[in-house]
Amino acid sequence: MSIIHKQNYKKAYQLFAAVLLSGLVSTTSIAAKPTLTVYTYDSFTSDWGPGPKVKQAFEETCDCNLSLVGLEDGVSLLNRLKLEGKNTKADVVLGIDTNLTADARASGLFSMHGQTLQNSALPQAWNDDTFFPYDYGYFAFVYNTELLKNPPTSLKELVEDANGPTILIQDPRTSTPGLGLLLWVKKVYGDKADEAWEKLSKRIVTVSKGWSEAYGLFLKGEADMVLSYTTSPAYHIIAEDDKRFAAAEFSEGHYQQTEVAGLVAASQQQDLGKKFLAFMQGEKFQNIIPTTNWMYPAALARTSLPDGFNDLVEPSTALIFSDGEIADNRKKWVAEWLEVMSK
Amino acid sequence: MSLPNRSGYWILAIIALAVLAPLLSLLTQSGLSTDDSAGLEFWQSNYLRRILFFSLWQALLSAGISIGLALLVARALAHHGVFPFRGLLLKLFGLPLVVPSIVAVMGVVSIYGSNGWIPLGRSLYGLNGILLAHVFFNMPLAVRLLLPVWQSIPTHHWQMSEQLGLNRWQQWRHLEWQALRESLPGISLLIFMLCLTSFAVVLTLGGGPKSTTLEVAIYQSLRFDFDPPQAVALALLQLGLCLLVAWASSLFHKLPDVEISLPNVQMTTVAAGRHINTVIISVAAIFVGMPLVAMIIDALNGPILTVLSKPELWLSASLTLLIGVSASALSVLAGWLLLSTSTDYAMLGQRRKASMIEMLGSIVYVVPPLVIGTGLFILMAPHLNVFEWAIPVVILINAMMGLPFVIRTLGPAMRQSKMRYQQLCESLALTKWQRFKIVDWPLLRKSVALSTALVAAMAMGDLGVIALFGTPEITTLPLMLYHQLSAYLIPNAAVTAVFLLGFCLLVFWLLEKLIGGKTNVEH
Repeated sequence: MSIIHKQNYKKAYQLFAAVLLSGLVSTTSIAAKPTLTVYTYDSFTSDWGPGPKVKQAFEETCDCNLSLVGLEDGVSLLNRLKLEGKNTKADVVLGIDTNLTADARASGLFSMHGQTLQNSALPQAWNDDTFFPYDYGYFAFVYNTELLKNPPTSLKELVEDANGPTILIQDPRTSTPGLGLLLWVKKVYGDKADEAWEKLSKRIVTVSKGWSEAYGLFLKGEADMVLSYTTSPAYHIIAEDDKRFAAAEFSEGHYQQTEVAGLVAASQQQDLGKKFLAFMQGEKFQNIIPTTNWMYPAALARTSLPDGFNDLVEPSTALIFSDGEIADNRKKWVAEWLEVMSK
Repeated sequence: MSLPNRSGYWILAIIALAVLAPLLSLLTQSGLSTDDSAGLEFWQSNYLRRILFFSLWQALLSAGISIGLALLVARALAHHGVFPFRGLLLKLFGLPLVVPSIVAVMGVVSIYGSNGWIPLGRSLYGLNGILLAHVFFNMPLAVRLLLPVWQSIPTHHWQMSEQLGLNRWQQWRHLEWQALRESLPGISLLIFMLCLTSFAVVLTLGGGPKSTTLEVAIYQSLRFDFDPPQAVALALLQLGLCLLVAWASSLFHKLPDVEISLPNVQMTTVAAGRHINTVIISVAAIFVGMPLVAMIIDALNGPILTVLSKPELWLSASLTLLIGVSASALSVLAGWLLLSTSTDYAMLGQRRKASMIEMLGSIVYVVPPLVIGTGLFILMAPHLNVFEWAIPVVILINAMMGLPFVIRTLGPAMRQSKMRYQQLCESLALTKWQRFKIVDWPLLRKSVALSTALVAAMAMGDLGVIALFGTPEITTLPLMLYHQLSAYLIPNAAVTAVFLLGFCLLVFWLLEKLIGGKTNVEH
């Protein structure tokens, strides 16, 4: 082997050592301050999510370290907590939604949050004393206004107009918006939901694993509309100065998703955890949410939102099932959906 | 000959432990549904039968078409001899393996979507889309794996076939097909496994839940339903399905008779077929190249400087490199030991035993990493801080997933070298180390290089189980790409995707160069 090759190896080795060391140092540098460990989903912790700003803002006030651990999504968060049980490292879990809260409550792993929601922007009163909301949004079909001139004005119109627009949706087994649409159709059609799906299925271009695939395909022009959020156009307006995209307003109302955090019962840091939940409904945290998570903050007046949010569709009715109803029926409804959609 | 090398059994034992222990630990986790009748209903449902059938059908079809086309392309490449950019083309053929599935879906849609270069419209979504994407992923890989077979056909066989005046069909029948019978079943099985475990591609391009595979069902029961025992049962079902196919493919398997002539170095070019070969090679290059070019165009329109100037990107790149290189080193080492044993048995005439060992080493591929990862997590969590162990676990799982690639690339070469030099080495009474240094390494380094490069590339493009364990500050490049996508940063993700491709290509090239040495004999 030539000397050059040996040097290459040496360099590569040094690089690895550097990476390894930096990993070790960052995990072992424990200061005297207490550390609050928050499990969340990884688009929250990513550079583009709220994570970095939230960490900085909270550490300025708490005299502690905030350690944000990113897992794949809300479903993984809850599964992870169930696997770890009482030995969990988490003090707070942030990022499960109201479709999962009944299940999470039943696990018995959470304690009371002890907060009252002030300045609530939620369309309904908050009565859950285990989970505490930080943001919410409405599912909606997003379209390009230059390409689709007459979008449907109701879910019924979308379903029943055989010549209506083509759509991209997500799979309820793997994706939160996918489950949201399933519940939305159930809310509007009740026992007739399977007939609605049968009609709709002819114009579903594809059912993707996650939101990213469907939205990416939509931007490539694969269908007229994509299942997303009413707040999605705000991204294009604010970050890209692009006003072509809009969410279609449906007269029956839109299905609502509320994201919550909860205090882990086994945590040794109940007080610090509560401090974090209180911080979560404070103005600093709430102001970070709109342009990083692209959702409505749960405790901030509409007037305090950045400009692009004022042009958005505001649903007349917020549709939502109680978390108990979802826990009881979710499996059955998904099986029904699979049956119709697999024909 | 001395007793066969036993090290392969140790490797098999380690693999068995690394797969079975997590599976068992999952079985101890009772799911939420205590309703046993619901479980029984699931196992008897039409739904399960349908996904079983569909998984098998799409995988057989995808693998069949990929292999069929790969045979054509590999044959054309072998007969065509040297031409400009041949090396580059072969490197390009190593790339689809690296492309994260979501990027590949976007690439395929850029070409065949309704606004694409060759619009197929709605008919893309369904079996067409699945097959297109799977052929894009697997045909090039199969070409890379099949090409060395032609190289192994001795020159005097070609000369003899010419003297006998064999036509192209007869040449294929008596020369090439005979040589292929050793590798083809194994390579087909590998491609079949890759298609069987395909997930996001099948779901997204398949048009909906009609196209649900077992892999999706496993994911659903482990995540959505949180029913670990059902996930294990489904994973075992997938393993069983694969064993069945492995058994069927082994019926076609035939090791060539002992061959002591030198392999040919320069391929004899058959002039008559040159034009056809040129057409086949060009079509294949265009087919594989188009989605890659579409990705590059997307990236060129993206915020290149913004993405590249982020220090996080480079940290992610070094972590990705660390995972890729460590996993491939581990995988190649394990593969070498496993193959030492299986080739020893082959030499002793115990061929069934030999192929059994190789098959057991390969087949772990179909146990989903999510299942192994979750099981390992349950085992580790009470005793260790799992965050600190996330990277070693990712490396371990990737090394296991890489093993079938190593067995396919290194296996035939190792067996041939043993057949040729075993007796010589014994009569010279070389020690193990001398033998490795003088005989094995010079002969096998090219195959070692290819397998190291392939496994490293695969591991680098893998989203992996790192998201399962929780990501601290540094992420891998594929994970960073997903983060960008979920933050609406689709143009940035396009740049990151091409950066990942370029980075993998560089690592692929470097590893092949450093390990494979300077000789210009191409595989």
